[in-house]
Amino acid sequence: MSAPASSSAAAGPVPARWPRLRRPDPVALLALPAFAYLAAAYGWPLLILLARSLSGPDGISLAPFATFLSDPFSWRVIGNTVRTALLVTLVCLVAGYPAAVALARARGAVQALLLLSVILPLSVGVVVKAYAWQIVLRRDGVVSQALVGLGIWDAPQRLLFTETGLVIGAANVFLPFMILPIYAVIRLIDPRLSEAAATLGASPLRRFLTVILPLTLPGIVSGIAFVFSLAVSMYVVPSLVIGDRYQTLATLTGRAFLFMRDEQLGSTTAVILLVIAVAVVVGSTALARRLGGGQS
Amino acid sequence: MTDPGFLTVAGAEKRFGASVVLGGVDLAVARGEFVSLLGPSGCGKTTLLRIVAGLVAPDRGRVVLDGRDITRTPPHRRDVGVVFQNYALFPHLTVAENVAFGLKAKGHRRADIPAAVARFLDLVQMASFAERRAQALSGGQQQRVAVARALAVQPKLLLLDEPFSALDRKLREAMQIDLKRLLRELGITALFVTHDQDEALTMSDRIAVMNRGAIEQLADPVTLYRRPATTFALTFVGLSSRLAGTVREEGDGLIRVETALGTVWAPGRFRPGSPVLLGVRPERIRIGGAGPNAIEAALVEVAFQGARAHLFFAGPDGARTLLAEAPEIPAGAAPGARMRLSWAVEDTLVFPAEPAAQQEAA
Repeated sequence: MSAPASSSAAAGPVPARWPRLRRPDPVALLALPAFAYLAAAYGWPLLILLARSLSGPDGISLAPFATFLSDPFSWRVIGNTVRTALLVTLVCLVAGYPAAVALARARGAVQALLLLSVILPLSVGVVVKAYAWQIVLRRDGVVSQALVGLGIWDAPQRLLFTETGLVIGAANVFLPFMILPIYAVIRLIDPRLSEAAATLGASPLRRFLTVILPLTLPGIVSGIAFVFSLAVSMYVVPSLVIGDRYQTLATLTGRAFLFMRDEQLGSTTAVILLVIAVAVVVGSTALARRLGGGQS
Repeated sequence: MTDPGFLTVAGAEKRFGASVVLGGVDLAVARGEFVSLLGPSGCGKTTLLRIVAGLVAPDRGRVVLDGRDITRTPPHRRDVGVVFQNYALFPHLTVAENVAFGLKAKGHRRADIPAAVARFLDLVQMASFAERRAQALSGGQQQRVAVARALAVQPKLLLLDEPFSALDRKLREAMQIDLKRLLRELGITALFVTHDQDEALTMSDRIAVMNRGAIEQLADPVTLYRRPATTFALTFVGLSSRLAGTVREEGDGLIRVETALGTVWAPGRFRPGSPVLLGVRPERIRIGGAGPNAIEAALVEVAFQGARAHLFFAGPDGARTLLAEAPEIPAGAAPGARMRLSWAVEDTLVFPAEPAAQQEAA
């Protein structure tokens, strides 16, 4: 993910007359190892997966998709997947934006500390975090006790194995992926812009809505694309926090391959998941390009 | 100057940590006046401007604009426009949207905005760029848009923070004249921050020379140049020749000063025995000639500048401290030649010697 202008800057100067005769840039060869690795370890298996999802008993067919999509259970799984991913993204955005602003405004040691507190959790494995959330979300867990203590809940409740618990846990895991891209964009905004808006008569709220928010849009879109694509395909967190009774496309894909040994079903669900994730990432990027058109 | 207190800054003080950036500054600007804050970087001029704009809160002191105490008023309720050094145009908006920004923020009627935008873009000759993105403009064009944007909301006071510093010299000089004329035609009161003495002399009704968080002299350009109040004002504005000496005799408003290069007479009242610094503007020094103030010095270097020539002479300690300006390079002006320099008694400026007075030739 990158801001529109930086992607065009990366393309470099294009000779006007003979673009076809241009020799390949030798620096581009440096990308070869990474490209080869991705092609072998990711591209090739993906092609196999795609081929399998399209292969019926009589050659190429869309029958596996038709079968899968005709089952109401499948639609519930797709609904679960998209709904939790959207909720996780929303929670991350609402919690992450102010955090990114605070991070960008902080100075010196405070900023280093805040940045560390965002990045350090990334080094803790997802499995560890998910197990931790199992404990925290129990009926006698910290969250339940706190909410009862604050008088918000009358009696202790179990958040573990609920969709709310899943969203809370997943948002915690993916929050840095929302904060960091927004922070990176806010940091580049000239503080004089907000001051200029103030001297032109704009109140703090108006300055935020008409200057800061539009200028941070590329960061917001990056964050949304990151968090959504991570949340729509998460496997470990739902497996440990909500369990088998609540299926998402990712957990269903896992079950299909690992327990049901149904490679056809697994391939089909994996491709549907991929299509959803790609659609959201591509769509949000296009949106950002249109909304944030003229920025550097 | 019928109303010297249109903008009044009284006792403005600001510290950042242990360093005093402004140490109790007073300033009064009349309606329609163009006043420059001139000084080297770190002298507090930008801090003073930001205090007037409301972007920095003073630790002490008051700011009064048009009879209203605005010391605690947030910037968006001040009616003070600012043209920033880097222009700070909104990169996500077009030129027209930039100019309309303040009109919308101030709640102007939506139907009136396009006409106002067109009028101010016209004033700065940017009407044909209305639909461009701000970032697609050159520095000079961005500066014009920034001026139009700040003026469109019709502020009581316009602040300009080194608006020409990013432009090349030719363009800068043309735009200085344009801006000065525009502001005079609109009757705008302006406070202008610059470190460029030529810019300040060209544009200002009055200039406040700032040094180390204080205003050393506030005067019109001619007075500032001819009668600098401090050695800092002497050295920072314009070129000068300087000689240290000791007062030997005083009477009738004249003093006789003994210097390493001879005796010099100057107007002033100092007790005999006081150490003083004498200054003369280079164009007041004649090569040759006679009179009460005539000394001999060795020529070090000649710098031909087209319309005139600068001649540098060795001072008492051998350093290049004396500068004379001549319309032509005089005959026999070869490095090493000893030449006679003379000037009128009334052109001699006298300052009490400071222990830390800057002695290098400007």
